[in-house]
Amino acid sequence: MTRPNIQIDDEVREMTEEEYEALLATGWTEGTDDN
Amino acid sequence: MAVKTFGTEVLTSADTNTYLANSGLVYVKSQTVGTTVSSVTVSSAFSTDYDNYRIIYTGGISSATAQLSMTLGSTASNYYNSIIYCLYSTGAVLGIGNNNAASWTYIGYGSTATVMVSCDLFQPFLTKNTLMSSPHVQFAGGVGGTNQGILIDTTSYTSFTLTPTSGTLTGGTITVYGYRKA
Repeated sequence: MTRPNIQIDDEVREMTEEEYEALLATGWTEGTDDN
Repeated sequence: MAVKTFGTEVLTSADTNTYLANSGLVYVKSQTVGTTVSSVTVSSAFSTDYDNYRIIYTGGISSATAQLSMTLGSTASNYYNSIIYCLYSTGAVLGIGNNNAASWTYIGYGSTATVMVSCDLFQPFLTKNTLMSSPHVQFAGGVGGTNQGILIDTTSYTSFTLTPTSGTLTGGTITVYGYRKA
C-alpha cells in the first residue's frame, strides 16, 4: 500500500514507514466523505 | 499613526507608504498545499516581528470528511482546547473538550467540497504559553461553532503543522498574517 504524502514547506514526499506509523497512532484513517 | 482623511486629492507616495506600513494585518508568508498530503508544515511563520498571528487556509479540498488539527514545532503534548458548537437545524448547543492532548483539535474542517481554517495564534514566538482561537464551520453533521485553546509550555515556535483526522489535503493556500504591533 502506498503511504500518504507529507509536506514540509514546498517539499512533498511519501511518508516514511516511521512517519506513517506515527500518523496512524494519532487515530488518522483514510476516511469517507460526508461532504 | 494619526488618522488622516482624504478628499479628492491624489495620494502621495509618502501617504501610501505610511498606510501600507500601518495596516492592521501584515502579510507574512503563504504556502501552496500540494497533492494528497496528510500533513502540511509551514516553517518560518513566526518571528520577533509580530506577537500575534492570523492563519487562513482556503481553496483546497480533502479526500474525506475531516477535522483539521494543529501542532506547533515538534510539540506533541500539553494542548488544551474546547469547542462549543451549535446544530444548524435545531440550535442545540453542545461541546467537546480536549485535555492535555497531542494537538489542538477542530482547528478547521475539510471535505471533498471545501476546506477552511481561520485561526488566531497569540504569542507563539514568545517564551510564554501560546493561545489559540478559531471559528469552526462545517457542513457534515450540520454544526458550526467556536474553538479556544492554550498550549502549556514556554517554547518559542517558528512553525506549525496542519493535519486532517482522515484522508489527505489537496490544493489551496495557507496564508500567515501578523498583527501589527504599533
